[in-house]
Amino acid sequence: MSGVAWTLVALGIGVVVVRRRSIAVGLVTAQALLLAATALGQGGSFNSVVAAVALVLRGALLATLLLLLVRRTREARPVAAGVAPLARAGAAVGLALTLIWLVPPIGLDSAAAQRATLSLVAIGLVTAATRRATLFQVLGIVLVENGLAIAALSLPGTSSLAIEVGVAVDLLLIALVASVFHERIFVEFGAGDSTALRSLHDR
Amino acid sequence: MTARDWLVAAVLVAPLIGVAASSFAPRALLTRVALAVAASVGIAAVALAVVALAHPDHREIGRWIVVDPAGGLLLGVIGLVGLASALVSPQFLEGRGGTLFREDHADRIYWVTFFAFLAVLLAVPLAGNLGAAWLAIEATTAASALLVGFSGRARALEAGWKYLILTSLGLGIALLGILMLESAAGGGGGIELLTWRSLPHASLDPKVTIIAYVLLLAGLAAKIGWAPVHNWLPDAHSEAPAPVSALLSAALLPAVLLVAWRSEQALAPTIGARTAGGVLVGFGLVSLGVAVPFLWRPQAWKRLLAYSSLEHMGVIALGVGFGGPLAMAGVVVHIAGHALAKALGFYSATPLLGHEPRASGHSVGGIARTQPALGASVGISLGALAGLPPSPLFVSEVLIVAGGFQVGRPWTASAAAVLLALGFLGLAHALIDTVAGKARRRDRDFAPGLRSVTSLTVVTTALLLTLTVAALWLPGSAIVEGLMRGLG
Repeated sequence: MSGVAWTLVALGIGVVVVRRRSIAVGLVTAQALLLAATALGQGGSFNSVVAAVALVLRGALLATLLLLLVRRTREARPVAAGVAPLARAGAAVGLALTLIWLVPPIGLDSAAAQRATLSLVAIGLVTAATRRATLFQVLGIVLVENGLAIAALSLPGTSSLAIEVGVAVDLLLIALVASVFHERIFVEFGAGDSTALRSLHDR
Repeated sequence: MTARDWLVAAVLVAPLIGVAASSFAPRALLTRVALAVAASVGIAAVALAVVALAHPDHREIGRWIVVDPAGGLLLGVIGLVGLASALVSPQFLEGRGGTLFREDHADRIYWVTFFAFLAVLLAVPLAGNLGAAWLAIEATTAASALLVGFSGRARALEAGWKYLILTSLGLGIALLGILMLESAAGGGGGIELLTWRSLPHASLDPKVTIIAYVLLLAGLAAKIGWAPVHNWLPDAHSEAPAPVSALLSAALLPAVLLVAWRSEQALAPTIGARTAGGVLVGFGLVSLGVAVPFLWRPQAWKRLLAYSSLEHMGVIALGVGFGGPLAMAGVVVHIAGHALAKALGFYSATPLLGHEPRASGHSVGGIARTQPALGASVGISLGALAGLPPSPLFVSEVLIVAGGFQVGRPWTASAAAVLLALGFLGLAHALIDTVAGKARRRDRDFAPGLRSVTSLTVVTTALLLTLTVAALWLPGSAIVEGLMRGLG
């Protein structure tokens, strides 16, 4: 698990730093496929096969939806993030290390799986907080869910299939709704830039 | 199947029929079909609520479905507010401007999404395990975000987007807490590990469980709107269509809070009742403390109601955290009273914004001087929310504060009493200004949808007064004993 876990984290760091939305979508899709391969590698039980199929379907559908969105909302140049790439990566690594330091062993199959889970949650939160492009904020949610998928695959024994499939369906629903908003924000403001969404405040 | 099972099936299936019926009904019949289905959903939910509350000892605690007094209370609230929101929706749709969707499909999409939201919302109090409850809560985000952004205006897009991103990230954190709980139990038990009936008896690692519990509550807090993770709440409540704001505030927030409540009861045997309750008390006090300054400021009507939601979710958290018999009685009354008064407040927003368009962005004054009936609706809602006697919220707040003293948390109860008094003063000031203050010159006659809001005001007032009387009888009743027992 160790090598796979750190590959997943490296792909996550890639999402924090890359400029192009399509590359970021590719990186989270690669994560989903790697997770599916990990599930299949867990002995080929019925549960692990279903988990792998759910992860592949979720990854493929998300990639299709998000790439379609990128195509339908072409921007003259990428929306600049408010924070420099190196600072974003630094913030993600800092938050990840803090979480790893704070959380005691929670009983997953390996320490690497726990660290990778917490790292991806941290990377997802930093992505959503520091990227101004609306699509990257959705990718922040996907990163968090990919991190949680590592934990679900590393639980001792088997977890509930119904819940695992349900989580994948819920994530797709959220992405679908986010895509409706993203397109409308693009039409309204000329860019999928969340800095345009700052008119609501208390007087 | 028993009658109770049939009712559960009806509650879960009827809103799905609403989704299908709204999708395919002829355009001319769409509103009638939607209202008919909404009535059947409301009747089924209220009937199941009555059954659950009338027989608090006869609980059904399954792996996937739970019917108990606490869930019954929430089913009743969702059923009533859902029906009332459906009844005032045609007025909203008639007066709406632009929309997020294609103009010719907008009304149909509104109803389809409305019933989808209702379907998953009703599943939350019925969920028999933490995993299913999480799934239902996450699904409410998808459906309700579309409704929040329904108008398609820039401000609504902003509110809907914030709501979608912040609550989804929050629920991600809650899911991490759930996975930790599964891990703390040693895994391998599938869904049975996470059922409300098993969790209190599970052999959990206390160190991991407490971290899991804090993460779970912190994640749910983002959805409940507890401070300091409440940022989406004032924006979403103020920009959503009024019938949807009512559902969000009166039904969704307490339904998610019920999951926090059930988690507290389920994990208290492992981490200790005082610790489990203490986290809720902390969220409650912080929410009250953050809400009060905003209740003192002049606010746009729906934004004022949103900050009042923050205050009242804090009060309910305090009551659940205290956990004694008096506080539990207060929680029951508070959830029901808040739902009635808050829903009426949001329904009044449609005629209010028609009568005084400035109310969307500014505080307004002297509504009763230009529209007495609307002034009465606004006044009854705000008076009840402020806790002005004979509001049931006055009784519930007294019960919750007394409950704090009863369980040996005198300092917390005293702090809560001071914050509640300050909140009361803020809302009382807003009440006087909004209803009887200095009025601007307005078109006296124009207040769209006022007739249905006036009818709802009469019904709501009767229900609020009945609740006040019931509140006096509730402490020591079988319902409160049933709530204290939890689901273990």
